[in-house]
Amino acid sequence: MSQPYGLLAEFSNHEDLLRAAETAYAAGFRKMDAFAPFPVEGLPEALGKKTRLPLLVLIGGIIGGVGAYYMEWYANAVSYVINIGGRPIHSWPAFIPITFELTVLAAGLTAFFFSLGLSGLPRPHHPLFNVPEFERASQDRFFLCIETRDPNFNRDQTRAFLQGLSPLSIAEVPE
Amino acid sequence: MKSIFDDSVGHAKNVSLGLGIIGFCGCLIGWFVAPRDFFVAYLFGHFFFLGLSLGSLALLMIHHLTAGDWGYAVRRFLESAVGNLPLLVLLFVPIFFGLANLYPWQNRAVVSANETLQIYLNPPGFVLRTAIVFAVWIIMARQLLKWSAEQDVTVSLEPTRKMRTLSGPGLVIYPVTMTFAAVDWLMSMEADWYSTMFPVLICIGQVLSALALVILLLAWAARSSVLGSLASEENFHKLGNLLLAFTMMWAYLAFGQLLVIWSGNLPHEISWYLHRISCGWKWIAIFIALFHFFVPFFLLLMRAAKKRRPILARIAACVLAAHIVAVWWTIAPSIYTKHFYVGWLAPAAFLGIGGIYAFAFLKNLETRRLVPQNDPRLELAVPT
Repeated sequence: MSQPYGLLAEFSNHEDLLRAAETAYAAGFRKMDAFAPFPVEGLPEALGKKTRLPLLVLIGGIIGGVGAYYMEWYANAVSYVINIGGRPIHSWPAFIPITFELTVLAAGLTAFFFSLGLSGLPRPHHPLFNVPEFERASQDRFFLCIETRDPNFNRDQTRAFLQGLSPLSIAEVPE
Repeated sequence: MKSIFDDSVGHAKNVSLGLGIIGFCGCLIGWFVAPRDFFVAYLFGHFFFLGLSLGSLALLMIHHLTAGDWGYAVRRFLESAVGNLPLLVLLFVPIFFGLANLYPWQNRAVVSANETLQIYLNPPGFVLRTAIVFAVWIIMARQLLKWSAEQDVTVSLEPTRKMRTLSGPGLVIYPVTMTFAAVDWLMSMEADWYSTMFPVLICIGQVLSALALVILLLAWAARSSVLGSLASEENFHKLGNLLLAFTMMWAYLAFGQLLVIWSGNLPHEISWYLHRISCGWKWIAIFIALFHFFVPFFLLLMRAAKKRRPILARIAACVLAAHIVAVWWTIAPSIYTKHFYVGWLAPAAFLGIGGIYAFAFLKNLETRRLVPQNDPRLELAVPT
């Protein structure tokens, strides 16, 4: 028999889920994830998940801004010098709106594509979908999944640990 | 029962009254010695503190409409500032005696060169419009404070509903009335100059300075436990986000006005900026760009800075200080067009009006409990 993907515990509300995630993290589990119908404040921190997204968005924004200013400077002051109303060739106030817009655009696109990419999307199937109860993760149930690839994972001990968190149910997730 | 906070309020009240009296003595001497310098300084001091009260009025109305829990934490501070509006009417009176010193449309040579100006910009019109805008503000302020006091002693939803009903139209009335005031009091200091973006920029500056002030006051009150769970990390985070939003909006409008006028490059428009970058004024402009926008903006991007009370309080202090400079930079170069100038009268007027303002503010603050009572939405916002 092949290894399962992990063990899935079901909770009825977000407070229980948050407490379970904190307890599991304190017990040394790292390869785990939680699922809820709405964003639960503090859940990523409780699971020990760190995201690099803010840094990536900042870098994206800086590239967009610097790129836009360089483009305008190159077009107006180097490549095709043209006198507009007697103003200086390098007129920075006129360049600011485009610089601002492209900063926002690049940062926004970075946020969109990297948030998809970093969470492994698009992905048509996931082992969790093999558990029928999991359907309610998008309705009214809260789930904590400890994955088999966690070094501390042990089928019986982990099941007993999850049982100690008093969930509604525990299911084994087939690969 | 008196808390440590009450004691520090009482102490601050005495200090500010003392400073206010000293400042006003200085002003009185200035009026006789150098009337023009006095009126410029006095307009500056008055306009800065009026901005705190009007900005508070706008924030209070935003809070009544949206009911975010950040607002319950600072509501008494906003209401105390709003309660100072009648005092500011009284303090405005000396300016009526200085019209000839402040406004070029009082000068016959300027008026005869441009007769249409006379139809709108004349002393009776100035006084009438000033009286009307003050009356409108005071009526709105009085109603909001009255209903807020009623809310404290009743579980009925009626006062809450009334405050919300007034706040919607109130947020439209405020920028409209402020437009008339900004045109009369500030824009007409250079009779030929006009900018349609200017009144909005003034309004946002007022809201920004009021927000910075209430963040500072909340940080002060949070040192004792009077506000309980209202002075939470999350509320500082939310106020920090609002400060970031208004800092950005202020910079957006300030730059937008510059860009439009710079692009147009017309003599009667650009002169306003030329006065404000001549000689020493240029360094003030750079200082404002740095400390009114760039420094607070980049610091406020960081979540950790917004959540930590001492850091957020320092950023708010930076914005507030930069705004004082920005108000001087908006007003004074119209008179001192050639060189940077700030005499002893500007700090004297600032202290005089500020001292009296702070005294009345703290007196308003003392009369009521710091935590709003009976607001039906507060219980949802603050789980006990």
